[in-house]
Amino acid sequence: MKKLLVMLLALAFFAPAMAAEATSPAAASPKEFVVYLDKNAKENHYIPSGWMGDYGDIKMNDQFVENPHGGTASIQFVYSAKKLQNQGWAGVYWQNPSNNWGNKKGGFDLTGMTKLTFWARGAKGGEVIQKVMVGGIKGTYPDSVMVEMGPIELTDTWKQYTINLVGKDLSYVNGGFGWTTTADLNPEGAAFYIDDIKFEVDTQLKPEGVKQQAMPFYIYADRSSTANHFIPSGWMGDYGDIKYDGASKEDAYLGDTCIKIIYNGKAAQGARWAGIFWQNPANNWGGVDAGLDLSKASKLTFWARGEKGGERIEEFKVGGIMGEFSDSDSATIGPVILNKEWTQYTIDLKGKDMSYIIGGFAWSTNVDNNPEGATFYLDEIKFE
Amino acid sequence: MTKLSSNNKNSSKKLGTGSVFDKNRTGPRFKTTGYRHFLLVGCSFLFLLIFSGCQSLPGVHIQKLKNKHYRLVVNGSPYIVKGVCYNPIAIGSNHEYDWWSDKAKPWITDGKLMKEMGINTIRLYQAHEDSGEVKQVIRDLYNLYGIRTLLGSWLGFWEYPCPFYGDAKFQNKVKKEVLEMVNLYKDEPGILGWILGNENNYSCLGLVNPWSNEEIDKEPDPQKQKAMRAKIYYSFVNDLSQEIHKVDALHPVGLGNGELVGLEFANQYCQDVDFVACIIYRGKTFGNLFKSLKMTFNKPVLLAEFGADSYDAYLKREDQDMQAFFLQSQWNQIYLNLANNKIGEGNCIGGTVFEWTDEWWKHNSDNPEFWSVHDTQNGWSNGSYYFDIRAAANKNMDEEWFGLVALSPELENGLNKRIPRKAYYVIREFWKHPVLIKTRGKKI
Repeated sequence: MKKLLVMLLALAFFAPAMAAEATSPAAASPKEFVVYLDKNAKENHYIPSGWMGDYGDIKMNDQFVENPHGGTASIQFVYSAKKLQNQGWAGVYWQNPSNNWGNKKGGFDLTGMTKLTFWARGAKGGEVIQKVMVGGIKGTYPDSVMVEMGPIELTDTWKQYTINLVGKDLSYVNGGFGWTTTADLNPEGAAFYIDDIKFEVDTQLKPEGVKQQAMPFYIYADRSSTANHFIPSGWMGDYGDIKYDGASKEDAYLGDTCIKIIYNGKAAQGARWAGIFWQNPANNWGGVDAGLDLSKASKLTFWARGEKGGERIEEFKVGGIMGEFSDSDSATIGPVILNKEWTQYTIDLKGKDMSYIIGGFAWSTNVDNNPEGATFYLDEIKFE
Repeated sequence: MTKLSSNNKNSSKKLGTGSVFDKNRTGPRFKTTGYRHFLLVGCSFLFLLIFSGCQSLPGVHIQKLKNKHYRLVVNGSPYIVKGVCYNPIAIGSNHEYDWWSDKAKPWITDGKLMKEMGINTIRLYQAHEDSGEVKQVIRDLYNLYGIRTLLGSWLGFWEYPCPFYGDAKFQNKVKKEVLEMVNLYKDEPGILGWILGNENNYSCLGLVNPWSNEEIDKEPDPQKQKAMRAKIYYSFVNDLSQEIHKVDALHPVGLGNGELVGLEFANQYCQDVDFVACIIYRGKTFGNLFKSLKMTFNKPVLLAEFGADSYDAYLKREDQDMQAFFLQSQWNQIYLNLANNKIGEGNCIGGTVFEWTDEWWKHNSDNPEFWSVHDTQNGWSNGSYYFDIRAAANKNMDEEWFGLVALSPELENGLNKRIPRKAYYVIREFWKHPVLIKTRGKKI
């Protein structure tokens, strides 16, 4: 009986500590917290299970032994850019537990960590990762954080990259690390390697404020340009009426490609109008705190032409997305009747507050003014 | 000499306490203090006379301060418009309901509640046809509760088939109506000012009630068409403002305007209005509105219509917390941008929140069956009110649920019982103790 009592007391004493360790491993190893080192390494906490977009375009070899950065192997990713799922992009999340898209409880409380570091190299150099991220998985059990960094142009030698997490809420992180890239950025595909991903404590690191972007700041330069920012993800109104080609080679104004947009005016969704917003990140209607500071911009310029001339665009716009994290201002021009020849247009931003922009650029038109639809081209969209 | 000095000391002390007109003072004592004392008291008297004259300066005007901020001054005292849009439609009625002649006098009940909340102004979009009834409402609110009235005119915006602002006959008709309104009510002590139009500027873009004329129709470039319409409209409002000032120098004239749309044209053609009365629905903040206005049309701004509904269209239930959250944040922004606040732009003179009571008639406004139902389908979409933006088709704004005060079908003194919502109490406390919070920052 006495022994039983002692055991019960011991259990009562140790059980909470064991439970705490199970739910908060970060507290047990306060200096660093490993996302992934080597396949089956006991320090790993996340699994590269969350394949996204054109997942058929990705091949992964998690025991690539040739020239690892640390340990015995690195992970090789080969992205074919074949668009097997017609998405034009692909990526992988490291999750806990595997395949957790926020539908079950998992993740870790990483409060106290201040950065994530990883090592990466390309097979040839020049491969482009569109962005890497920590957190951002939604669902019933959403990550408490979403931080992105990119694009990253890889070199053919190992290089360490750091994601600053100072001041971020890391109380629940299911998506420990992730990357995405696009066929536009890597038209011929890309092979690259990632190794030694971990959260770390760095007491010297300062919070990363929103930095003022240097000018010119491109929204679209060319199909594969790493200078491109914002994603043409915000399809509005009769989105079924729109065809978007971000790599048209039909008489680009500058460089190899331009944007071609076909609006057929059939009112597929019954709205009788349609348009596209370029957003940061994709599909951000003001729900994600990810505005870019474009305070140095005094105007946005772009080149446009109509296929026939006479196509009427009701509005070209900068900013104006309203949500929990709204654009700090908006500016518009329009209606604009396009010429058949390339013509430059300017949206004046003088006096505008461009300190927080998630909606970089937008156009909209309607069936009433384009009963036969409209085909038009855009190029060299940039803040200056 | 010693005595004189002593008297002077005594006199200074009294001046310091502000008791120059102490009734215990006597004539002979005055005489014995000497010439310097006489001068001092005389100057003080003159100063007080001038000061008290300023204090009682009659009328309402906008004052531009040395720091280029604007403030509204009423009878010599600074005045923050703590207002509400007022259109008390009873349950079971629609917009044609004549509340002005309702024997239950809804404004008496509402005025009492408004005063308790701290409201000092109502905004009426348009006066009723019966000027006697209008005067009664203005007088009752002012005499009983000290509540002033901003009186507006639609400027013919809803006339069928459209407001022909490009037509001289139409302009003259509207001008006659507006000047009649001003002449009828300008001498009412409860009048605070005039607001011309509401969101009429959208008609210049062709978005609502589009209008044109021959000259505009000949212009092929739609951007130039827009500019031509804006020039006509804002010039017309400017003309109205000049005419009003001729007959009424004691009340300011406001330009009603949807958002800041078109104000670059107002800057060219409408400089004679005294303030802009903006209609703004931007969720928890007004964004860059105050600074942007300064850059485009440097006039003081009244937030003439703003607010939040209290129905969560996603969870399909009333959410008074949501409404209170947005309204408190909006009033915080208004206060940050009042005159003499170091952080804001100093160009805001207050606001009239939309609105006092719910209006149950708005969904299916032509079908009486719906006027007694508190509908939840009359939605439009606005991502700034993000709590319920995931509602079907993102229609999260419900026109029947904007009241600071809910209506009950139960009658009390012949009126639908008024039930103040949480926002009523939250704003009441904010006005009593305005603790201002910087956007993305700390309390100030």
